[in-house]
Amino acid sequence: MTEWLRTLLENKRRTRRRLAALPFSEKIKLLEKLRDRSLAIAQSPLGRRYRKQ
Amino acid sequence: MKETLQIINQMLVDGVIRKYAIGGAVGATFYLEPSATLDIDIFVSFETAPGRALILLSPIYDYLKARGCREEGEHVVIGGWPVQFLPAPDALAEEAVAQAVETDVEGVRTWVMTAEHLVAIALQTGRAKDHIRILQFIDSGMVDADTLDAILARHGFLEQWEQFGHKFLEDRK
Repeated sequence: MTEWLRTLLENKRRTRRRLAALPFSEKIKLLEKLRDRSLAIAQSPLGRRYRKQ
Repeated sequence: MKETLQIINQMLVDGVIRKYAIGGAVGATFYLEPSATLDIDIFVSFETAPGRALILLSPIYDYLKARGCREEGEHVVIGGWPVQFLPAPDALAEEAVAQAVETDVEGVRTWVMTAEHLVAIALQTGRAKDHIRILQFIDSGMVDADTLDAILARHGFLEQWEQFGHKFLEDRK
């Protein structure tokens, strides 16, 4: 594993830990944003094309 | 989701359901980083005989439809969120509902399954995304190994857990 990849993975782990440590209400707000984005992507032309395949 | 939980809590007050616990991805979010999900899994327990899921769900659907919520496939949309009500199908789910942790979302009281019960149910369900969630739980250090072992032993999932370990955890040792 290269140093660059090691740093990248450690940063990801740190971000995950930071997000996991948020209060539940804060995490629910993020969940709502993620859901809105998922729905927007699913309704986009790209999302519709992907679903047809 | 605040409004969703307020309406579900009102179902408790009105006696439509006896007790509930949030499971699935939203339940996992209590312990882990948020991950995208389109619905909320609400496990409910009833005092009547198991195996009568459809009959048991009718009062829930009727109650919610009378309050302007609409059905969308296997979900009911409550406060903008599709909610799937799952009558606890077995002793594991019953226990998960009974031992759920009390918390709140923006001041609204609610209950979430314990991390160990979420892992046990994910193991029982066994889809690829459930396996990923189990690994996330293990990585997070949020699962108490002794508690999880006791749950798995009590409900007959130790062999499945061993297989999971061989398949996904061997290279971590």
